Amino acid sequence: MEIKKISRISMLLALSVVLNILESFIPLFNGIIPGFKLGLANIVILLVIYTYSFKDALLISLLRVFLVGILRTGLFSMSFFFSLGGSIISIIVMYLAKKITKLSIIGVSIMGSVSHTLGQIIVAIIFYNINMIYYTAWALLLSLPTGILVGYLTKEIKKTLDLSIKW
Amino acid sequence: MNKSDIKLIIIIILIAIIVLSMIAILNDNSNKQALVYYDNKLVLTIDLSETEKKEYLVDGYNGVVKIIALDGKIKVDEEDSPLHLCSKQGFIEHSYETIVCLPNKVVIKIVSSKDNDLDTILR
Amino acid sequence: MTKKRKFKKGVILKLLFLLAVFILILLAIVFIFKKVTAIKYKEYTKTLNYMDTVIDIKIYSNNENEANTIISEIEKIYKHYHELTDRYNKYDDINNVYIINNTKEIAQLDIDKDLYEILNYSVNWYYKSNELFNINIGNLTDLWKKYRDNKTGIPTNDELYRLSGLDIKHIVLYNDNKILTGNVNLDLGGIAKGYATEVAHHYLKSIGFERYLINAGGTVLAGINSEGNKYKVGLQDPDNASAILKDGDKEIKLNLSNAIITSSGGYERFYEFNGVRYHHILNPNTKMPANNMKSVSVITDDAMLGDVMSTTLFLMSVEDGQKFIENFDNVEAIWYTNDNKVIKSSGVQKYE
Repeated sequence: MEIKKISRISMLLALSVVLNILESFIPLFNGIIPGFKLGLANIVILLVIYTYSFKDALLISLLRVFLVGILRTGLFSMSFFFSLGGSIISIIVMYLAKKITKLSIIGVSIMGSVSHTLGQIIVAIIFYNINMIYYTAWALLLSLPTGILVGYLTKEIKKTLDLSIKW
Repeated sequence: MNKSDIKLIIIIILIAIIVLSMIAILNDNSNKQALVYYDNKLVLTIDLSETEKKEYLVDGYNGVVKIIALDGKIKVDEEDSPLHLCSKQGFIEHSYETIVCLPNKVVIKIVSSKDNDLDTILR
Repeated sequence: MTKKRKFKKGVILKLLFLLAVFILILLAIVFIFKKVTAIKYKEYTKTLNYMDTVIDIKIYSNNENEANTIISEIEKIYKHYHELTDRYNKYDDINNVYIINNTKEIAQLDIDKDLYEILNYSVNWYYKSNELFNINIGNLTDLWKKYRDNKTGIPTNDELYRLSGLDIKHIVLYNDNKILTGNVNLDLGGIAKGYATEVAHHYLKSIGFERYLINAGGTVLAGINSEGNKYKVGLQDPDNASAILKDGDKEIKLNLSNAIITSSGGYERFYEFNGVRYHHILNPNTKMPANNMKSVSVITDDAMLGDVMSTTLFLMSVEDGQKFIENFDNVEAIWYTNDNKVIKSSGVQKYE
């Protein structure tokens, strides 16, 4: 049981890293909003929140940020801290959204997407003193389609996996 | 998607509209200046009231960042970074817009310089 | 338990939703209100040349006729007072300072009521200013001007000693707008600009117009700007005409609305002889250019008072001036001393 879980979590972690790197090759919204991404890695995090636990999701997310940092952007670079801030806040928000609201998995995904963006902007404002309010509004709006997409994909993947995997 | 999800979506749209309209109300585009920061330090101030094209070079973390000011707008023309996000961003012109070059640690802000200007000098 | 949970879950979103709608409606109202009430003010400017100085008038109005009327009225005021107080030229049909100074026979001369008022105000100020503010120093002015124009030295001690006719009591005014001539030589340089500016101030108040900024060389009259806010006014550095006076390494910038600021300093009109600077503000007692400080600026709400006050303070030591202004309400001052120190009266901070 324990080994099974460890291997699953490792696979999910690998998947989230791959998705994270993959989506950076999709030039979505580049040129409109700095650093905007689809957030496909969030599929994995959402799945873990819904099937395992908050702690596991946080673990995977943190490891993912470190791995992506080592592999691509550089550990402790500016992008690394943006990513770290966004990830931690979005996981807490998603967990709370699942627990205390009536939101479906899609709603929770939207909350995750929105809070990930806000987390990054908060880091930008606090640590780099950059005024990003204008982008916040657009990022909020753009979080909706990506959040819905991620939420929908997660829902369908979970539905399929539920049939074949005993979590 | 259930009812709560729809409500959430509407709330987010409303908040975005609120923020955007606040910016539209509070925005001041007079006497624009572009402030260029490297590693959180102000390295260059560019007056955006001139219409002709001007080029500026700023040292970034990965090398020289080339900035072009033209007709009240400003953009990063060339820089060295993995994704070239900030040169792809193109021109900005409003006092709430920002260009952020994370890999180069260069930030360009547009501000209204009105606060610094004297209306008159007592002789 | 389940019922309670359901209620709690639903109400959070509902509240958020209501809040967002509320804020949105509020913002819409503010936005519409701003759009409806936003009047586009246009800037109208005019530069005049009176009283030996450049007078910049700037007003904001949404009505071109109104703007033109106001500017032409202000111009009339400055022109009127320029002609009345001019020592060097005569004009048709008015008995001005030139006529008074150059009428050698002792006689009662009819003068304009406005000129009478200035003279009366000035004579009263002689006593208020501990006998420092003297408008009957024309003889002294003329003597120094002769040397200033030629730039060939300074008046000798003998010349200064023999110079007479500076007594304020020689100015005799009659209630029916007359002055006794033959024994006076007036110089209204220390009050004319401020007086005319205050008359313009009164005119603007009387028509209820607020959006103006007048810089009459040494006196700035500030209303409110096009957005209803204060103006930012810098003080010129006496040692460097193109720089702003600094306190330490910070430029002095004053936020003024519905206020006037006026400066006196030796940097406006002067000449240098043997490396010493001789300027145009003369002390009637020492008969020399005052050298207590480099400049002094007065912030108050009355341009007449401001102008005579700054001249008076310039003739006093800084310490005496600090005590002197305590006798007046709503008068603040900034001194720039000979050793380049900035001294501010206690109330100046509210303008910074």
